[in-house]
Amino acid sequence: MTGAIAWLRALPLAVRLPLLVAGMMVVVGVVASERVLARLQAAQERQLGDLTEAYLDGLSSSLLDPVLRGDPWEVFDILDRARGLYAAVRPLETIVLDGEGRVLAASDPRRFPIGSEVPRQGVDAPTDATHVDEEQARAYAGRKLSIEGREIGSILVSIDAGPILAERREVLFTLLASNAVVTLAAAVLGWFAARRMVRPIRKLSAHLTQALDGPVTPIPQAMIPAPGTEVGRLYRSYNALAAAISERDALLGQAAEEERLASLGRLASGMAHEINNPLGGLFNALDTLKVHGDKAAIRKNTVDLLERGLKGIRDVVRTTLATYRPERQVRPLRQADINDLRILVRPETGRKALALAIEGTLEEDVPIDAFQLRQILLNVLLNACRAAPDGGTVRMRVGTDGPSLVAVIEDSGPGLPEAAGHVLRGSLRATADRGGLGLAITSRMVADLGGTLAAETSQLGGARIAIVVPFASGEPGGEVRDVA
Amino acid sequence: MSVGPGLRAAARWTRTWIRLSLTKNGGLGARYRRGEEILVADHLRPTRRAAVLGLAAGAAMAGRSSAQSASLRFGLTPVFLSSDLELLDRLKAYLEAATGLRVELVSRRTYQEITTLLVSGELDAAWICGYPFVAFQDRLSLVAVPVWRGRPLYQSYLIAAAGRGARSIAGLRGDVHAFSDPDSNSGYLVTAAELAAMKERPETFFNRTLFTYSHRNVVRAVASGLAASGSVDGYVYEVLREVAPDLVASTEIVRPSAWNPFPPIACPKSYEAAERTARLRDALLRMAAAADGRAVLQLLRLDGFAIEPAAFFAPIALAMESVRGMG
Repeated sequence: MTGAIAWLRALPLAVRLPLLVAGMMVVVGVVASERVLARLQAAQERQLGDLTEAYLDGLSSSLLDPVLRGDPWEVFDILDRARGLYAAVRPLETIVLDGEGRVLAASDPRRFPIGSEVPRQGVDAPTDATHVDEEQARAYAGRKLSIEGREIGSILVSIDAGPILAERREVLFTLLASNAVVTLAAAVLGWFAARRMVRPIRKLSAHLTQALDGPVTPIPQAMIPAPGTEVGRLYRSYNALAAAISERDALLGQAAEEERLASLGRLASGMAHEINNPLGGLFNALDTLKVHGDKAAIRKNTVDLLERGLKGIRDVVRTTLATYRPERQVRPLRQADINDLRILVRPETGRKALALAIEGTLEEDVPIDAFQLRQILLNVLLNACRAAPDGGTVRMRVGTDGPSLVAVIEDSGPGLPEAAGHVLRGSLRATADRGGLGLAITSRMVADLGGTLAAETSQLGGARIAIVVPFASGEPGGEVRDVA
Repeated sequence: MSVGPGLRAAARWTRTWIRLSLTKNGGLGARYRRGEEILVADHLRPTRRAAVLGLAAGAAMAGRSSAQSASLRFGLTPVFLSSDLELLDRLKAYLEAATGLRVELVSRRTYQEITTLLVSGELDAAWICGYPFVAFQDRLSLVAVPVWRGRPLYQSYLIAAAGRGARSIAGLRGDVHAFSDPDSNSGYLVTAAELAAMKERPETFFNRTLFTYSHRNVVRAVASGLAASGSVDGYVYEVLREVAPDLVASTEIVRPSAWNPFPPIACPKSYEAAERTARLRDALLRMAAAADGRAVLQLLRLDGFAIEPAAFFAPIALAMESVRGMG
C-alpha cells in the first residue's frame, strides 16, 4: 500500500493529474450508475406490479363465475384469450386453482393438468405482492378468488421478467460504456491539460538541474510569458536568481585572483627576505675577496661561500618563477616540484619556527598538470602554516595510489572553522565573513583537475586536508625551462 | 287475430320458466339419462304441466305469427365459426333476397338455448343438431338437410393430441375428455352411445369430462393439452383443417364414427305449413343455383340442401335410446 502510494508520488504530474481525474470520474460514474439502477429497478418492479395487478384484476373478475361452477374449459378459454389481451404483462404461466388447491385449469395444461396438485416452486403461497426471481427471470404473483367472503379458488401467475432484466442489463452496459468513454476522454483531456500546465515547471526544473553541474543559464526572454501570469513571475524570479548567482560567481573568481595576488605579495616579501639574508654574507665574502683575494685558501672558501649563497638565491628565484609564470605550460609533476614547495613556504616556516615535515617521494613523473597541483599544494601548505601556532608542526605526505596522486597536509593548529568545513562540503557558499575563501578556491581547482578535497581532523590536533587527484589521461605537456 | 295483453304476458312468463328450468339442470343428455321430470320428459310422458306448456306455447306462436308476419327469425347453433361475421352477413342477405322477408339471425352460446327458443316458437326456424331434433321430433319439422361432400351425412370424430397413436375409444380410458355440447350428436351422443355399447358411461370411463360448447373449442382443448381427447363434429373438423390448419395439425383422429344424418334445419311443427317456412325451404333448396347462395355455401363448405324424411334421423334416435338405457 505504502509502496503503491510512493510509486504514485514518483509519477510525473502529467500522469498523476489525469489519473486523479479518471479516478474521480469512475467514482462519480459508479455512484450515479448505482443510483440510476436502483431507481430503474424500483420503477420496473412497480410497473411490473401494476401490470400484474391489472392482469389479475381483469382475470379474477371474469374467472369468478367459471371457478364457482368448476368449468375448466371456460377458465382455460379466459386464460387463453387473456394471453393475447395482456401481451404487455407477458404472463408465462397462469394457473387457476379450485377451493381445494387443485388445478382447475392452467394456461399450459400439459405442465399443470386438470386436477393435479399445486406446483410448489415459487408460486407456492399466493400473496398479493409481486415477487421477482432474478435467477429464473420470472416474477410471481397470486390472487385469491372469493365470493361473499368465502374463498373459492386462487390464481397464480408467473410473468416473464426477462425483458425488464434485459432492459436493466442494457442500461447497466450503457452506463458502463458511456462512463468508460467519458472517463477516458476526461483522462486524455486531463493529460493534455496537465502536460500543458506542467511544461513551464519542467522547463524550470531542467534549467535548475543543469545549473547543478554547470553554469546557471537564464531562460531566454522570448520564452517568458506576460508578467501578469504565474509562469511569467516564476520565470522572472528564476532569471533574477540566475543573474545573482552569475554575479556572485564572477565575484568569487575575482576574489580568487585577488587571493592569488595576495599570496604572491606574501611570497614576494618572503622571497625578498630569502634573497636579502644571504646578500649580507655575499657582500662580506666580496669584501673578504677584495682584501684577502690573493690568499688561495681564503679565496677558495670565500668563492664557495659566494656560490652557495648565489645558489640559494637562484633556487628561490627559480621556484617563484615556476609558480607564477605568466604563460602556462602543462608538464607532469615531478619530485622537484614537491621539493620546491619546501622552499616556497620556507619564509612562513622560518618566521613562525614551524617544524615542516615533507614525507614520501615521487619515484617518477606523475601525469598531472604540475602548475595547478603546485598551486593547490602551496595554498594548502600556506593555510596550514598560517593555522599552526608558533613552534607548531606542519606535515605533508605525498604518494601515488594506483592511478591517482594522494597528498595529505596536516597541522597542529586549532582545526578548520565550522563554516569552512561546510564550504568545503559544498553545503554552503563561501563568503568573505565565513572565511575559507582560499580553501573554496583550492577545492574548485582540485575539482577542475577531476580530483577531490576532503577536510578532516588531524591526529596533530589541527586540520587534515586530503587531496586525491587522478592521473590525466592525455600525455603531459613540454618540459619546464631551466631558469638559471 | 288479436290476443289480450294478459295472455301475452302469460306466454312470456312461460318462456322464461322453461329457459330457467333448462339452464338449472344442465344439458339435455344428462337429463335424458337421469330421466328428470322436465321438458323432454314431459314430451315423452305427457303430463298436465306439459299440456299447460303446450297451450301457452301455442298461444305465443299465434300471437307472433300475426304481429311479425313479414320477418323470419332464424336460429343458428354454434356449428363451426360462430364469430364469422362475413358468413352471417352473407347468409342474412341471401335469405332476405330469396324469401323476401326481413331475416333476423339469432345466435346463442349453447344448442340448448336455440333448441328451447325453437321449440317454444320464438324462432321460425333454426339450424339445430340432429340430437335435439330427434328429442323434440313431435314438436319439430324438418325444413331441409345440408348436403356435404355429396351426401346429407357427416361423422363424429374422436380426436387426441397428434402422435398419441390411439386407434379406438378403448385407448382413451381415464382421459380428461372434451365434449362439445351435451345436446350435440357428434360432440356427445355418438361417443356416449359407443360407450353405452361397451356398458360404460362417460363420467366413469373418462377421468373427467368437460363441455366447451363449440366444436372448434373441443379441437382447441385437445390441441392445448387441456383435454387428452375429445368428441368433435367431423364436418367442423374437416372445415377447420382448411381454415385453421395449425390448430388441427396438433391433433389426430382416433376414429371416425359411422355416417350420421347431418344437423338439419328445423321449424316448429306448428309452422310446418306456414308461408315463410315454405319460402325458407325454397331459398335453401335453390341456394346452390344462385351466385350469392353459392358464396354462402362456399363459406360453409356445403354443396347445398336436400329434403329428407324425418325417419332419416332414426340412427340418432337409436343412439339416444341406448344412452338412456344406461341411465
